[in-house]
Amino acid sequence: MRCPEVQELLPAYADDRHADLSVRRHLASCDECRQALDDYEQVLDGLSAMRSIVAPVPVALRDSLVAIARAEKRLDKMVTHVTRNRRAYAGGIAAVAVGAAGAALWRSRRVRTAAA
Amino acid sequence: MRRLNASPSGGDREPVPAELIDRCKRGDEAAWAQLVDATHGSVYTLCLRILRDPDDAAEATQDVYLKVWRNLKGFRGDAAFETWLYRVATNTAITKHRRRGRKRTHEAGMDDEMMSAIPGTASVEASAGARLDMARLDRALDELPDHYRTAVLLRDVYGLTTAEIAKETKTSETAAKVRVHRGRKRLKELMFDEEKDR
Repeated sequence: MRCPEVQELLPAYADDRHADLSVRRHLASCDECRQALDDYEQVLDGLSAMRSIVAPVPVALRDSLVAIARAEKRLDKMVTHVTRNRRAYAGGIAAVAVGAAGAALWRSRRVRTAAA
Repeated sequence: MRRLNASPSGGDREPVPAELIDRCKRGDEAAWAQLVDATHGSVYTLCLRILRDPDDAAEATQDVYLKVWRNLKGFRGDAAFETWLYRVATNTAITKHRRRGRKRTHEAGMDDEMMSAIPGTASVEASAGARLDMARLDRALDELPDHYRTAVLLRDVYGLTTAEIAKETKTSETAAKVRVHRGRKRLKELMFDEEKDR
């Protein structure tokens, strides 16, 4: 194998040494490719170390995340309450709708009567 | 296989105890606060690395924890909690990134803002034994095209498999592998080859 072919395989080889025996053979006798492999290893080590770097979190974010539990429990309670009493709520809404329609009808008749 | 962080739940932190998860499932708010305290820094950082904007990262983190709260009862513990949490975070951040599109990604000053959000790295370099200038590596990572950067982040920082990356980024496994490969190659060029050329 020649250097350009080997170097094309190094990004994967740096991660998986079992990949290719011919790459290993080439590396044993080529300083330039061994240096390139070392560069890749440094990059991968650096990326792996990035995992432990934690950015400072905005102060308000922690509180808003903690508040999710309370808000969601409240929402759940509300949903449960409405679900349990859906007939009563549906009846109430229907009564309001009928009342509003009746009032509108009464008003329009009154206006027509006054006009006549 | 040379993987320093083969599991997304890796890192230096203690795993979240199963007992804490159970208490959260029962609606225990104090347990939830403990869970948030133990994990939100890593989740926010993951979102920040993908989205590169502190406001978007904060918004994504809120979405992550809302999903976690709503789906916690379905979490059976087959995988570590952190693995599941990181998967939810990755998925949420990538979806947000896709929706947001590329328009804001390269706005002037975005990289500086992002960089200033990540703490100094000298101690990390020392503790992790990394031989690189980590701040430079961070900047080089930022120079990668979005799809390479995301693939490298998920694979080499957070330890997802290429199959998982393919699933999260809605691409084929081959494409995910190619992105990781090209991303690493470009990073190496930025870190070493271009320096030698100077």
